[in-house]
Amino acid sequence: MKYVLIVVVFCICTYVGYLFSVKYTKRKKFFSALISFADKLSLEINFSRERLKVLVENFDEKQRKDLLGVDVAFLDFLEKKSELSSEVMFKKAEVLKTDEKDAILLFFKTLGRSDVENQTKEINTFVSKFSQMKATCEEEQKKYGSLSLKLGVVAGLFCAVIMF
Amino acid sequence: MLEKILPEKFFKIISEKINFKAVNEIRLRADKPVVLNIGGKMFFLSESGVTNNAKIALYASKIIIEDVIFRASECSIYSVNEQIKKGFIVTDEGVRLGIGGNLIVENGQVKTMSNFSSCNIRIPHAIKNCSLTALPYILKGETVENTLVISPPGCGKTTFLRDFVGQLSERNLPLSVLLVDERGELDCGISSNYTDKICFSSKIMGFENGIRSLSPDIIVTDELGQNDDVAAVEYASRCGVKILASTHSESIESFMKKPLFERLIKEKIFKRYVLLSKRNGPGTFEGVYDENFSRIYFSR
Repeated sequence: MKYVLIVVVFCICTYVGYLFSVKYTKRKKFFSALISFADKLSLEINFSRERLKVLVENFDEKQRKDLLGVDVAFLDFLEKKSELSSEVMFKKAEVLKTDEKDAILLFFKTLGRSDVENQTKEINTFVSKFSQMKATCEEEQKKYGSLSLKLGVVAGLFCAVIMF
Repeated sequence: MLEKILPEKFFKIISEKINFKAVNEIRLRADKPVVLNIGGKMFFLSESGVTNNAKIALYASKIIIEDVIFRASECSIYSVNEQIKKGFIVTDEGVRLGIGGNLIVENGQVKTMSNFSSCNIRIPHAIKNCSLTALPYILKGETVENTLVISPPGCGKTTFLRDFVGQLSERNLPLSVLLVDERGELDCGISSNYTDKICFSSKIMGFENGIRSLSPDIIVTDELGQNDDVAAVEYASRCGVKILASTHSESIESFMKKPLFERLIKEKIFKRYVLLSKRNGPGTFEGVYDENFSRIYFSR
């Protein structure tokens, strides 16, 4: 019984550490997907000039998953099903910080509001901003991502030793 | 369609408290009351429907106007910028929004429009058989006479042209019809199996390309108003293609005085002139005239 309890406590500690590290991975993946999305928009707006709804729907399925529901909230807004607000847009994106949410919301609010030239300029400005955010995320992931996991394992071992 | 573009509150009142079928236009101006054109008469939109009292009218704001235009472009202004440069947007359903704002001009070329301050939403209404009375005077055996539909703005020229094309199709006449549709609103609601279309091009380009590539029997086009448009008509006439077109004018007399049409009148390119007015509401059929402007049919 004692050994089982030790294993359970170790697993819990490790899992908590893992959850913290996943947060950093999610953030990094989110910004990678967002930058790809913005790049694709910029390209398509310049060439095909297809409507936003189609462009969002046609965006790579795999990367869409990393957008944490932001794309779905934007599609709902395009279809007039909901407002474009922080509460609606970031329901599933708790991993983002407030200033990041504000920048992303502003990005989506500017989409579709101007001619090709201005729209492209705006998107490119946001891409630079998102790239900086992505770089910060990568640093954080390197610093704290693996550290959280390691701390979880260490904490688990520590508890196990004490319990033993 | 209006549901998609109008603010929810405005749409609810228009659809629930007003006879929507009679609404021809909705005019939104920044910080001014919303104006409805119902059967040719102007009213303000209010909570209870329509009113003549501006104090209880609902007002449009700049944000509302920008949002209406944004929605009309399917949330993609960049995709309709070529139309915006000409001052309008036409939705897929044929609703035409005339837009007022600041034109951005660079090197003498209109680049785009910004700072939208007003918009005029024109709602198309298909009026089945509205061209029926004029039909016997325009049809000539299995073809048609070159015909110009004349009326002041908002009197149903486009509706007449659409119905006429539908009538040709219903009669199974072996005629290929080409719509040269500068604003993309002519095609809406046409049920024809013999129609090709060239949209958003100038008339001269549309006529030249269309005649070359689609060899139509008839070209239908809206609103002749420039020298190039007249040149396009002359070109089609030289090619033996029949023309059904429309133009703005208050009356036959004022039309005859327009220098733009002097050559067309002199050469008798149009064999029939159909006059529409607002006398008994938009689309009132006033009469048909021949190439010498003798009235061959008139409505009492």
